[in-house]
Amino acid sequence: MEKVLEVNGLTKQYTKVLAVNNVSFEIGKGEIFALIGPNGAGKTTTIRMISTLLKATSGDAVINGYSINKEPEKVRECITYLPDEAGAYKNMTGINYLKFMAGLFYTDPKQIIDCVNRAKNICGLGERLNDKIGSYSRGMIRKLLLSRAVMTRPKLAILDEPTSGLDVLNAIDIRKMIKKLAREEGMSFLLSSHNMLEIEFVSDRVGIIAKGHLMVTGTGEELKQRYNAENLEEVFERVVIDNEIH
Amino acid sequence: MKFINLLQKELKELINAQMILGLVAILAILYVTGMASKVAIDDAIEDSTNPKISISDLDNTDFTNSLIESLENAGAEVTEFEVSGDDYASILEENDIKNIIIIPEGFTATIENGQKPEIITASRMTSASTMSNLSTGSSGALAIINNIIANKIATDYGMSPEDFELMENPIILNENTVVADKSAHVSSESILNKIMMQNMLLPIIVFILIMMTSQSLISSISNEKLDKTLETLLSSPVKRSSIITAKMLAAAVVALINAGVYMLGFSGFIKNASGQGEDIITDMTGNILSADEAIKQLGLSLSGGDYVLVGIQLFLTVMICLSISIMLGALVNDTKSSQMVIMPIVMLAMIPYMISMLTDINTLPTALKILVYAIPFTHTFSGISNIMFGNMTTFYIGIIYQAVIFAICMFFALRLFNSDKILTISLNLGQKSKYNKNKKKTSVD
Repeated sequence: MEKVLEVNGLTKQYTKVLAVNNVSFEIGKGEIFALIGPNGAGKTTTIRMISTLLKATSGDAVINGYSINKEPEKVRECITYLPDEAGAYKNMTGINYLKFMAGLFYTDPKQIIDCVNRAKNICGLGERLNDKIGSYSRGMIRKLLLSRAVMTRPKLAILDEPTSGLDVLNAIDIRKMIKKLAREEGMSFLLSSHNMLEIEFVSDRVGIIAKGHLMVTGTGEELKQRYNAENLEEVFERVVIDNEIH
Repeated sequence: MKFINLLQKELKELINAQMILGLVAILAILYVTGMASKVAIDDAIEDSTNPKISISDLDNTDFTNSLIESLENAGAEVTEFEVSGDDYASILEENDIKNIIIIPEGFTATIENGQKPEIITASRMTSASTMSNLSTGSSGALAIINNIIANKIATDYGMSPEDFELMENPIILNENTVVADKSAHVSSESILNKIMMQNMLLPIIVFILIMMTSQSLISSISNEKLDKTLETLLSSPVKRSSIITAKMLAAAVVALINAGVYMLGFSGFIKNASGQGEDIITDMTGNILSADEAIKQLGLSLSGGDYVLVGIQLFLTVMICLSISIMLGALVNDTKSSQMVIMPIVMLAMIPYMISMLTDINTLPTALKILVYAIPFTHTFSGISNIMFGNMTTFYIGIIYQAVIFAICMFFALRLFNSDKILTISLNLGQKSKYNKNKKKTSVD
């Protein structure tokens, strides 16, 4: 499988805290990879380094052939990043937000219009796109942001807790949207989540991270078999709490 | 193109209906208060030129009658009342007047006995406002009465009117005002009155400019940080320098719009509040000069080149504010701290603002002067004064100092924006102590 992301020994040392320690994994084209772990495990720090927001203390990640250390500008052309609990500009209308964000990726007006039309179709917000974002519900904002993250057809879409704080129906919509984009368009995703059910449903492969270490990786089925567990939650518990590594 | 996109977004975020309504409200408030001051001042002027005097002559002698006649001859509109007792509140209330002068019984006899006579005045105060009390005094009338009595006493002692006039004004005042190597045959007080208003206006505008500039950029960066839209922007294919420049430019444009509107409002306010009086100064030889001529004669008027220098200084001031604001905006980690972080700029602007309103910074003791001038904004508050009074060395040192401070602040701001710190740095108000407390508690447990 063609590799879109290769992470090699990524490490982040803050003054007193080693947030991420020697993390390595890969994501193939059209693959959905989920990083799961307890709070403070290093998921967001790993994601932020791959998104070029934080500089790695050591190690590297190569996205579509570009190194996050050496060519961060090129990396930013290939990725999109949706932060956890991100908001949008409340005084902008949804449609203007999409136009503004598309304008950061493209200078050709035709490409910008194409992107916006694509986002309009994906988010399903219809006429509400003409309203100010300040009047949107949390679910509507998340759909708008997700459509923004995929409208430019990035090689890798990085989504931190894509469904956090959403009701069941909105969360289902978003999971379906992610799966559809990966299957039909070959878009790759790096997700982080706390929700094991969501991970089992949406991801092709899972990485369990705790205390900055990537403990295990594999498909949901592989991990369940390896740990002789009924579900991913049980695997997670044994890896994170009991430090059981297979 | 991407930069224009960013700049448009920043301008749209900052220039919104709320801001426009705020500016319209400020203009309206300044216009209305200016008009209100004008009415009070016009009343006071009217009172001083044609004073309305309420008087009660309880002595009723030829002398007191001639005294009242003299007041009328001096242009006063005298109304006489019959009053009794010392309940002055009732007297003013019953006669529906603001003030009254009461000439008590035996007034003339006291003068004739060579003693000091008593005059009673009662004035109603309706508020603590200076403007509302401008027209309540009877000082003009009392000055005339005083003069007439002094004249009578002088005549009684056999003094001629010429001798009395000489005694009253024993010197001829020949005032000259000198500024640097130029002088004018006018009193410094009259010049000061003319330049005071414009000197009051500039510090207010500079202060507003500093506050607005900082507040705009701090809010912009802190909102983006709190909403995590900054992470989205920083992970998109745009140069970080474009993001920061767009933010700074938009904040500067908004600050200039604010400063312009405030300047318009304040100049209207001051024009109204200072009245539409003649803008002339009479010099010591009796020549009438326009205020501008007298100021020009003293070299106090600003040339085109001077305005360019003032413009450069204002530009540097705005740039220092913006670069400091980037760093302060990055410190914000919640709504509470977004209101707190502007405090350093408020203090840095407030100290020179207050000092420049009260005194000339150049006259402060050396140590204090150095301390005050170490604040980069001080040079802006004293800039025009330094140009007007020829302290050009101080002015140029100020400009160079501000340029250096700007370069240092901008260096650190860019470094911050290009590093992880823009996302990880925060103002942990009270959080450290909470952490230490928890640590202590855990160790006890």
